[in-house]
Amino acid sequence: MSYKDEMYCTKSHEYVVKEDGKYVIGLTDYAIEQLGDIVFLELPSVGDEFEKGETFANIESVKAASEIYMPISGKIVEINEELPDAPEKLNEDCYEGGWLVKIESDAQESEFDDLLTYDDYKSELE
Amino acid sequence: MVKQTYLHDKHVVLGAKMVDFALWHMPVQYTSIIEEHKTVRENVGVFDVSHMGEVFISGKDATEFLNKVVPQSIDRLPYEKAVYCQLTKENGGLIDDLIIYKTGIESYLIICNASRVDEDINWLSLNAKGLDVKIDNQSHNYSLLAIQGPKAIDLMRKMGYDIQEQKSFTIKSATIEGLKLLVSRTGYTGEDGFEILVENDLSEFLWDKILEKGQEFGIKPIGLGARDTLRLEAGLHLYGNDLNETTTPIEAGLSWSIPKDKTQNYNGKDVILNQIQNGVEKKLIGFEMLDRNIPRHEYEIYFKGEKVGEVTSGGVAPTAGKNIGMGYVKNLPEICTDSIIQVMIREKLHDAKVVKRPFVQKRNRV
Repeated sequence: MSYKDEMYCTKSHEYVVKEDGKYVIGLTDYAIEQLGDIVFLELPSVGDEFEKGETFANIESVKAASEIYMPISGKIVEINEELPDAPEKLNEDCYEGGWLVKIESDAQESEFDDLLTYDDYKSELE
Repeated sequence: MVKQTYLHDKHVVLGAKMVDFALWHMPVQYTSIIEEHKTVRENVGVFDVSHMGEVFISGKDATEFLNKVVPQSIDRLPYEKAVYCQLTKENGGLIDDLIIYKTGIESYLIICNASRVDEDINWLSLNAKGLDVKIDNQSHNYSLLAIQGPKAIDLMRKMGYDIQEQKSFTIKSATIEGLKLLVSRTGYTGEDGFEILVENDLSEFLWDKILEKGQEFGIKPIGLGARDTLRLEAGLHLYGNDLNETTTPIEAGLSWSIPKDKTQNYNGKDVILNQIQNGVEKKLIGFEMLDRNIPRHEYEIYFKGEKVGEVTSGGVAPTAGKNIGMGYVKNLPEICTDSIIQVMIREKLHDAKVVKRPFVQKRNRV
């Protein structure tokens, strides 16, 4: 199974997918495609805690700077360490190799109410 | 209303991302800004810059008129030569920056910024009172294609370009693909290259020929995104960012373009000469970041804990391999080449080093 089958997306283009009891968070391929050449990525530190909707990372393409928001609340337990030194890798793979952070979360189910399956997310874009 | 160039549909078919720029619907990138940037530095690229303004100036007093509206010495401009100019106001601020080409006796072509065509025409008309001069805005009738990069000359020859020798900053009537066209050896990328003025109806034919004949030279269509990274790396100003009605050519670091011995009067001459002699309050500097952070338009610049200015242009420099910027700072003698300044990025100060412009060297080939 790939991330795309199981993940949930926000309208601000983050995805979240459950894996081994943690949640993996990243940006959708549509977001990366819209941004273009990625040249900068700033990730939080392990141990940082964020509420749903809070800015937890910053990304920049040649064109513009954007913030990345938490799809659900939680505590950072792992970051994709190699990405900030090679953010251009996101242009090739923003899922299995290009996830951003992993979190532990005891988010209430209600936090998932406004998240969309990848199929629904894609059709909302059209 | 947003305007389209005659090549709009070509861009869409090529898969370009289109954006609104200066009231024109323009391609910002076709594949990747970084890839397009490198294509121009290493091979050759073609740009549709038909949004730019073309204004023809003629009449018995044309030279006298132009001499009055720019600090440059238009009376000394030889036939077929071009000169980089600024339209100055009385306070030394700029209505626009532009290139003036001498195309005949008392006959000139002005190429100006798309965003400023209307202001330029108003300003020129205002200054033409009492003079025998015709200001003919032909922007809607012409397309402008730029062929830029070290292989631009090879592509031009391949297309039948029949001029033996054309120096940088000249304009000549040349035959290309059987068409008689005005060709200038100018550009906005820091590379060798040509800009071709073509009537709208022939622009699609020429665009297709350029892409077809350019294949063997590795040509790519280049969007406005790479146009911006290329010009920034070359240290070239962008009107609206680095130049406006409150910046003088001296503050902008354009003193090299101002003749000190021009006898005729022109708008803002007193202010400009005074600044040359007595110095300026603010000055435009170039800088490179010392970490991975990217400076952008309107970010604040600090020096020794004090806010001294703002970034006017900034971004990645794909060829220099750095993140670079330009901005106006308070004219302190301590802020000079190799000084360390700071840029406020996401509420933190990041070190940058003041460097000379251009950020990459131009490699011209004749």
